[in-house]
Amino acid sequence: MAVRRCLPWPHPVLKAPAADVPAITDEVRSLWADMIDTMDAMPGYGLAAVQIGVPLRLAVVDCSEKRGQAVRMANPVVLHASGQFREHDEASPNLPLVSAVISRPRAVTVRFLNDQGLWEDRDFVDLWATSVQHQIDHLAGKMYFDHLSSLRRKMLIARSEKLRGKK
Amino acid sequence: MTTATLYRYSGAWQGPVLQWRRPRTCPFLLRHRNAHLKSVRMIRPILIHPDPRLKKPCEPIAAITPDIVALAQDMLQTMYDAPGIGLAAPQVGVMKRLIVMDCEKRPEATPQPMVLVNPVVLWASEELSTYEEGCLSIPDQYADVQRPAEVRVGWTDLDGAAQERQFDGLWATCVQHEIDHLAGKLFIDYLGPLKRQMITRKMEKLKRELARG
Repeated sequence: MAVRRCLPWPHPVLKAPAADVPAITDEVRSLWADMIDTMDAMPGYGLAAVQIGVPLRLAVVDCSEKRGQAVRMANPVVLHASGQFREHDEASPNLPLVSAVISRPRAVTVRFLNDQGLWEDRDFVDLWATSVQHQIDHLAGKMYFDHLSSLRRKMLIARSEKLRGKK
Repeated sequence: MTTATLYRYSGAWQGPVLQWRRPRTCPFLLRHRNAHLKSVRMIRPILIHPDPRLKKPCEPIAAITPDIVALAQDMLQTMYDAPGIGLAAPQVGVMKRLIVMDCEKRPEATPQPMVLVNPVVLWASEELSTYEEGCLSIPDQYADVQRPAEVRVGWTDLDGAAQERQFDGLWATCVQHEIDHLAGKLFIDYLGPLKRQMITRKMEKLKRELARG
């Protein structure tokens, strides 16, 4: 399999909602494998297909201590979110060198198509929940910094560009 | 499912592949070739924005039936007649995931009509390109839209076979524009709200004038 390149933000694919996957085929499975390789190469806690330029509703999440526990999901939706929130310093390979603390529900129940092509409901807590919500946001054309106020968002983007030596 | 294809549907129609030609050059030949379909080929009216049907996502096509083939023929004829380089089914009021296009603009070149059933973008390039886009549903309005310069698209053809191809240049812009239609998205949705409202008001006025006759 292969490590794919992540698109630099801003890119139209990162800003547009992705399309549903009609069925789990071998192509989807090989795409998941590429996504897991890309995620492990960073290393990261999760990856959405839009990040590597594939506008389909596919995501992988792996927040385990020793890697290799990746959950593959297609067409994920949040069914339920807890009232209790949790803060995490989030970052993205699409906007490198910066991060921001985002507060999200501490636990979520997510429904998705698994690698067997079956609908599965699964509960995620703590870091797993944060990562899953971060990926589902990607599939809706939303980045983590879209949760910030417009001023903080602008500052974050400007800092990333400065650190990358752009402009 | 063991097939290596993403978008294969069962119950495909296994009829003959028809060679499309520009209807103006050979009207007799077309009618003769399609006689077995027992449907009258026709130019369908194109919906003008604003219309709720242009804002709604479309249903996937489960099987290639003769009706779908006839719809594709009508859409090609409608597109060539307009003239345009692409047309999506919702633009003729059919809420199905079907697009037709032919981005061969040079008049001396042979036409390259394409019919894409259930098209999906499988990959988009990092490089972007800007093109001044227009739309048959938004006549005489043009604006620059930035999109990925290259895309790989998967679809089902009229034989029910899965196809995949990488598009670039005008073809890439056109195929993304048409696939956007199937999600209820128009090119003016990429513009700022001020410009979009200005175009929408002009279209409302145009529709009023057309209704008056």
